[in-house]
Amino acid sequence: MSTPQNTGPRDAPYGTGAHRAAGEALRGTGVTVREADPDDAVAGVMPSWVALPESTEEVAALMRVSASHDLAVVPAGGGTRLHWGAPPDRCDLLVDTCCLNAIPEHASGDLVVRAQAGVTMDALAEALAAEGQELALDVPVPGSTVGGTLATAAAGPRRLRYGTARDLLIGITVVLADGTIARSGGKVVKNVAGYDLGKLFTGSYGTLGIITEAVFRLHPVSPARRWITADLPADPGAVAAALAASQAEPSAVELDWLAPSPRFTVSALVEGAAVEDRAHAVRAVLGGDGGGKAPGWWGAPPGEVLLELRVPPSGVDGALSAVAARGLPARVRGALASAVLQIAPAVDIGGPEFAAFVSGLRGDVAPFGGRLTVLAAPPELARLADRWGPVGALPLMRRVKERFDPGRRMSPGRLAGGI
Amino acid sequence: MDPELIDDCVHCGFCLPTCPTYVLWGEEMDSPRGRIHLMKQHVEGTPLTDEMAGHFDACLGCMACVTACPSGVRYDKLIEQTRAEVEREHVREPSDRALRELVFQLFPYPRRLRAMRLPLRLSAGLRRRIAPGLERVNPSLAAMADLAPERPSRVRLPRRVEAVGRRRATVGMLTGCVQGEFFPQVNAATARVLAMEGCEVVIPPAQGCCGALPLHSGRPEQAVRFARRTVAVFERAGVDTIVVNAAGCGSTMKEYAEIFEGIGDGEWAGRARAIRAVDLAEYLAELGPAARRHPLPLAVAYHDACHLAHAQGVRSQPRELLAAIPGLELREIAESSICCGSAGTYNLFQPEAARELGDRKAGRVLATRADLLVSANPGCTMQITSAIRRSGAAPIPVAHTAQVLDASLRGLEKVA
Amino acid sequence: MTETLDELARRLEEALPPGAVITDPVRLRTYECDGLTHHRAVPGVVVLPESAEQIAAVVRLCGEYGVPFVARGAGTGLSGGALPRTDGVLVVTSKMRRILAVDLANRRAVVEPGVTNLAITEAVREHGYYYAPDPSSQQVCTIGGNVAENSGGAHCLKYGFTVNHVLALEIVTPDGEIVTLDADDPGYDLLGAFVGSEGTLGITTKVTVRLSRAPQAVTTLLAAFKDIEQGGQAVSAIIGGGVVPAAIEMMDALAIEAAEAAVACAYPRGAGAVLIVELDGPAAEVAHQFAEVERVCLDSGAFELRTAAGPEERAAIWKGRKSAFAAVGRISPAYIVQDGVVPRTALPEVLASIDRLSAEHGIRVANVFHAGDGNLHPLVLFDDAEPGAGERAELVSGRILDLCIEHGGSITGEHGVGVDKSRYMPKMFTDDDLDTMQLVRCAFDSRGLSNPGKIFPTPRLCGEVPGVRKGVHPLVESGRAEQF
Ligand SMILES: Cc1cc2nc3c(=O)[nH]c(=O)nc-3n(C[C@H](O)[C@H](O)[C@H](O)COP(=O)(O)OP(=O)(O)OC[C@H]3O[C@@H](n4cnc5c(N)ncnc54)[C@H](O)[C@@H]3O)c2cc1C
Ligand code: SF4
Ligand code: SF4
Repeated sequence: MSTPQNTGPRDAPYGTGAHRAAGEALRGTGVTVREADPDDAVAGVMPSWVALPESTEEVAALMRVSASHDLAVVPAGGGTRLHWGAPPDRCDLLVDTCCLNAIPEHASGDLVVRAQAGVTMDALAEALAAEGQELALDVPVPGSTVGGTLATAAAGPRRLRYGTARDLLIGITVVLADGTIARSGGKVVKNVAGYDLGKLFTGSYGTLGIITEAVFRLHPVSPARRWITADLPADPGAVAAALAASQAEPSAVELDWLAPSPRFTVSALVEGAAVEDRAHAVRAVLGGDGGGKAPGWWGAPPGEVLLELRVPPSGVDGALSAVAARGLPARVRGALASAVLQIAPAVDIGGPEFAAFVSGLRGDVAPFGGRLTVLAAPPELARLADRWGPVGALPLMRRVKERFDPGRRMSPGRLAGGI
Repeated sequence: MDPELIDDCVHCGFCLPTCPTYVLWGEEMDSPRGRIHLMKQHVEGTPLTDEMAGHFDACLGCMACVTACPSGVRYDKLIEQTRAEVEREHVREPSDRALRELVFQLFPYPRRLRAMRLPLRLSAGLRRRIAPGLERVNPSLAAMADLAPERPSRVRLPRRVEAVGRRRATVGMLTGCVQGEFFPQVNAATARVLAMEGCEVVIPPAQGCCGALPLHSGRPEQAVRFARRTVAVFERAGVDTIVVNAAGCGSTMKEYAEIFEGIGDGEWAGRARAIRAVDLAEYLAELGPAARRHPLPLAVAYHDACHLAHAQGVRSQPRELLAAIPGLELREIAESSICCGSAGTYNLFQPEAARELGDRKAGRVLATRADLLVSANPGCTMQITSAIRRSGAAPIPVAHTAQVLDASLRGLEKVA
Repeated sequence: MTETLDELARRLEEALPPGAVITDPVRLRTYECDGLTHHRAVPGVVVLPESAEQIAAVVRLCGEYGVPFVARGAGTGLSGGALPRTDGVLVVTSKMRRILAVDLANRRAVVEPGVTNLAITEAVREHGYYYAPDPSSQQVCTIGGNVAENSGGAHCLKYGFTVNHVLALEIVTPDGEIVTLDADDPGYDLLGAFVGSEGTLGITTKVTVRLSRAPQAVTTLLAAFKDIEQGGQAVSAIIGGGVVPAAIEMMDALAIEAAEAAVACAYPRGAGAVLIVELDGPAAEVAHQFAEVERVCLDSGAFELRTAAGPEERAAIWKGRKSAFAAVGRISPAYIVQDGVVPRTALPEVLASIDRLSAEHGIRVANVFHAGDGNLHPLVLFDDAEPGAGERAELVSGRILDLCIEHGGSITGEHGVGVDKSRYMPKMFTDDDLDTMQLVRCAFDSRGLSNPGKIFPTPRLCGEVPGVRKGVHPLVESGRAEQF
């Protein structure tokens, strides 16, 4: 486990002189660079500077300077999930991608879009909607960017039908710690030339480099949508499994539940042609009623402190019982049929209680293949808990990190195992 | 081995999953693609090593690869040529040679075969050597007796059976060596079914082996001799269509013209072409039903004999004939295209592989939970029955398509 | 065999079950190539392991002797990915073909790497499920090979590729450790990076795949057009209209001719192009989309439409398409199967350029392609008996890849880079791109023993960890790094 540090601008290894030199060098790139203020803190760690590059080349220039001055760099998008993951071990430069906000190419005939990393998902959706298309990646938090969404591997309800960010990403441009600009994939959906760096960077939390551009495959916006919502007294997982196996082909089946109450709200979305027929088929399994509007909680994170629970679908009901049995009030929400749920314990939970909840629940779900990670928690809370739990591939991840960022300057410490 | 035929193979591997030896061992050398590659090596100058010959010998000649190949590779031709080459060039171990001699002197000859039902009179040494092989034949032979317990061991067929009702055709019928000897009741049923469907059936008495056994074992001279005799016999009988109920015989007879051409004998090729050999099911499907089908409330699993399904492409016709019987439920056997391991003389020369394949097939057959197994080849019948016996499961009755049809046409309660 | 290999073979024999190590030269040679037969190399040793532990033992021994190893499944690859090393060990998974678990409740199956793609579907079909990626070679190719190549199929337009259907992998790393990569692992998507790495990051020993629900309804439609332009128009209009069919396949006149010769598929006479469109999903949706597709085809000039009602009619429509590759053998003594991708909207232009190339070099090209995602499979026909024809065919085939790159596409949509296309990688990627990819390689395989010589034109020595780069990178300076 990494121990979060609240260092702020550090003096060692370079004193104020070195600090000044680094600042000048950063400004020397011609990129807009400003001094950081407390609002810029990354999970409690204050950077010295904030840079606002406008192109991949500018990011590369910043990274080269950072490399020669041994600056630790954290990329940031809309800041909506910057507090996810562990706090960085150190942070000198925050690279704010807000000005990387162009959509250089929307090939609507090819159902492909190329967007810079700082484009917000809302802006992207708006631009695509003009052509009747969408990136089928629901992003619950307004203001999140393309880059941030990829780096945190975020996904919403419709993962059931369309998969997650990694499934829709077809090309990526990144800048590595030393300023190298690298790209993989391309502008076509079908492409198996070379390694897929896009996959590697999905979920990388800024620890491998900075994502500056991404290409996605798109889908036509569905002509109609219906949400069918019902309250169930027990076993929502079994119902979700029945829905997933049914021929109604729901695009999403979501849960909203205030543990440990015995009332599970389940909502299913059907899209595409013939929605009425399909809504009917869903209702036959789920009951409840439907309409053209999503329930208010649809896709929204259940709280500030967030845990993520993943189990094989048949383990959902067992996992929910385990949550209830812990007795702590918590809001549980998420993709029921895909069995990826977010758990938000009450904000006033204490550190030891939180740690016990995390390790206890992790132990409860492990026997049926479940895992629990802490997505977001203030350092005070997370300090006593193991954020990630066991990760089998950790040694390999560490080796990847060593190759990409031998100086450990990219968002150091944010990921499992102190990566 | 014809290099052009070898070059037709594009190495796509589509034949791998249907090859029984690849299914068993998962080794390239024992797959059709690998064997063709070995042939290529040999054509390009690599001497025929023991290893190479072993991989050719291990081929069952089931021709599943021919069916599977999208490029139309004539593996059937290739392996025939290769086997002949192996017999010519390859020096086998003396005991191996002795076993092969014995089998080739025994099987194609009905009377000798009959003698084998008595305890074999063999020298002690030879018996020890071929014991594993014979062990595999004996239970099969015993199994046969079970199939027709209340029947005499020999059925004498008349030379001519009149058509029932209006005569729609006149056909010859091949009695076959193994079929005739071990499954006489199948021949009787075949003749009856043909007659009831309006055929006059001509059954020349002096038939012997059609040549299939030696042909598939790399003994083309013997095969050619048998082929000439068979053609001559049916010419004399004055028929131009020969209905065959044994899959292995049918596939060979369909190749007669090609075989004669292969040795440059145009005259015999012409004579062979003037006679059409046709499988019973194929013929009946073409002819269309005339006689009434009586119900047979049975669940039937149909086994594809390689020499019918792969070598002759006859797959749908027997199924259609069976399914058309009222009350009969047809069940598919999983992995139906994979050989049961009988393949002519295979269970004598490759007892272990044959046993494994037999067990595998028996498992799939039993899994259908059918009341009756239908197989159109005597070798398969013996092989599968003995495998089922070995597994300790309750035996499943086995019948030929002809027997099932016979029972339905005659309105019998059960398949005899 | 060299002394090292001799000794290694002895050690391997100790570590593996009897008969699992092949050293006989005649047998070894049968493994000299995969589906791409013009690249050949007789492997030093072949091993046929039966478990992950045995593969780990083999890999560790290779490491001990510094000998490279290459994994092989069914050897159907079309880019020479499984081309052996004469100085190395070929690890063949053909004995590892057990389906370890079918877990319908969780819609997944766990299989060994040598299980064929189709075997998975066959194991679950009776329960109404199937494994979605369906390469044309599905009855033969192994799931381990599919993972290595990230294989797709005619239906990947709607359902995606292997990478979208694999939930976990057990691999033996080039260091000989057995590691599980799980889609649920937090952090880097190593599972996603491993899929499609063509055996260069280690050997897959167990695969957990997602099972999909068989669709309620499937409708297949064949539309005949006067020429390929009209067919292309129809494709654009269908997709532009918001319909995502399960598959859209196109064949041009020459490909149709070949298919007719081989399987007598009886496609409409006089067709310059045929389009096969398959729709699947909930019955109501399929009916709706079908009407739409039919209208679009007629509007684009289709002169005949056929619809398959049942499985037999569907098979009849697909027969010509499925046999197309093998069938060109009937109209040409030799041919090259090319695999490239262009953006769908560039199809008409690229096809016209291919026509010009064909005329210019006197080399016929038959086009069969996954039109929905712009994946071209030009079949470049030539007569190998004619002097110089092979070279001209190579040239045309290579120029087609250049066209793909020029139009922002890819040099391979599903067959992989292997040895065959590594020389095109620098045309599609910058040195920096390739160096960065090789960082991944070095992280997994620092000694470069796992399937060396594939994908990358020049292997990098992993010792050279890229240090801090000073100054402007030459690529940025030259402006090359800007291109995307
Ligand atoms: C007629 C024909 C049609 C085809 N159609 C398609 C198609 O429609 N779509 C498509 O995508 N492909 C197609 N292919 C290509 C080929 O079938 C696929 O690439 C397939 O995935 C290869 O599987 P294989 O088992 O034959 O692998 P191999 O050819 O044996 O190996 C391929 C690669 O995978 C590696 N590999 C194999 N097993 C492992 C393992 N266990 N661990 C790590 N690496 C491994 C090898 O080293 C090699 O690099 C076709 C091929 C043919 C001959
Ligand atoms: S004939 Fe049968 S055993 Fe011989 S190679 Fe072909 S499929 Fe295999
Ligand atoms: S299927 Fe035919 S072409 Fe393909 S490898 Fe087998 S024999 Fe050769």
